[in-house]
Amino acid sequence: MSNADATRSRPAAQGPGREQALAETFVMLADTLVEDYDIVDLLDRLVAACLGLLGVSAAGLLLDDQKGNLAVVASSSEETRLLEIFQLQNNQGPCLDCVHTGSAVTSADLRADRARWPLFVPVAVAAGFRSVAALPLRLRDHTIGGLNLFDGHTDPVSVADQRIAQALADVATIGILQQRSAHRGTMLAEHLQRALNSRVIIEQAKGVLAERNAVDMNAAFEALRQYARNHNLKLTELALAVVRGDVEPGAIVPRSPAN
Amino acid sequence: MVTAAGNRGVVCATDEVSARIEDLQFTLGEGACVDAVQAGTPVLVGELDEPGDIVVERWPAFMEGAAGAGVRAVFAFPLRIGAITVGVLDLYRDRPGDLTAGQLATALMAADTAALALLYLGSGRRGAFADDTHGHAAYQMQVHQATGMVKIQLGVTIEEAFLMLRAHAFAAGRPVAEVARDVVERRLRFSTEDR
Repeated sequence: MSNADATRSRPAAQGPGREQALAETFVMLADTLVEDYDIVDLLDRLVAACLGLLGVSAAGLLLDDQKGNLAVVASSSEETRLLEIFQLQNNQGPCLDCVHTGSAVTSADLRADRARWPLFVPVAVAAGFRSVAALPLRLRDHTIGGLNLFDGHTDPVSVADQRIAQALADVATIGILQQRSAHRGTMLAEHLQRALNSRVIIEQAKGVLAERNAVDMNAAFEALRQYARNHNLKLTELALAVVRGDVEPGAIVPRSPAN
Repeated sequence: MVTAAGNRGVVCATDEVSARIEDLQFTLGEGACVDAVQAGTPVLVGELDEPGDIVVERWPAFMEGAAGAGVRAVFAFPLRIGAITVGVLDLYRDRPGDLTAGQLATALMAADTAALALLYLGSGRRGAFADDTHGHAAYQMQVHQATGMVKIQLGVTIEEAFLMLRAHAFAAGRPVAEVARDVVERRLRFSTEDR
């Protein structure tokens, strides 16, 4: 993880630059929410926004799959090590604690918290992370998932940053609950299952594109997103068409096929 | 069950009432099951006879038949793995009320298992029927990616690709997630000669 460099200073933007970025992010999210948006697309943008706004190295969104596990629904990177760290949180870690307690869980120095999470800390530290924050996706009296932020150095997340992160987590919750559905009065379970299955369809489509166009998963995903945007299609619908063979995968190529 | 071609049929019903309700949805083309197929999400209606509910308004004929059979709540779970859709698991109850979290978890897991079972049933294939869909959420991402890759490598449907990937893992005595990782990292390719 090249950007998890412990010597880099935290915030990507401070002062007026950051205010501007913050405003733009919330305008983008609000715009998305009034349209007929794709949930995975929205959550991915949100996770990407965390990196820029909060200056963290990696971010991921985990949802309660209602079968007793937390499932990754958006991640700032394809990196297997990062996914492993998210996965590990089904057994132990800040995100699991956050979902169980319904409140933010932070560690400003992971190495000092080894006793707290003996399984989780060594893996996270080996991946280059030094601090973590987990914010709950809250819905009234229960928690439907967590927003996980990892950074490569040992600064505590400032109160201001934590509030921004929580606001982003709240937008994610709203996004999940506001998905268009077959009928009004749709239950939370239906929304969560839809979001989780959308992610699976997109992963299947990435595999099709990666193989057909000889690119890696990141490039396949970028191409899928680009094509969806250019053709005004929802990401999941396009992914479904790709997997079903209704769209020629050769047409969905990244702009620079070399990567 | 629902085939890739959109053909539908009732595979199994636990008793006469559920068989009757299934036939009803089938004939009418409306009901929780029909909506679950279309939306690809669970359709959970704890109060079938709550007046004015938009859900109820969607299925006027089904409602009448369900009430006649003594059904007060219906929960339909699509059997699907991403783009793979094999059918719907319909649960009926003679009392109104939502599912508890525990009941929901059980129903979702039963739907996962039924999805696998039906996929095998439809393929006539035997073998890797171990249910390893749980507890590997992150690695599952790679299983889904690998399924898409195998689909292209073999020129088959996504359903067949999914079964081929699992059959390979079963034959090799390895976890599906591990085989999937080899596929994604391009250490393993499926070729039509292996089929």
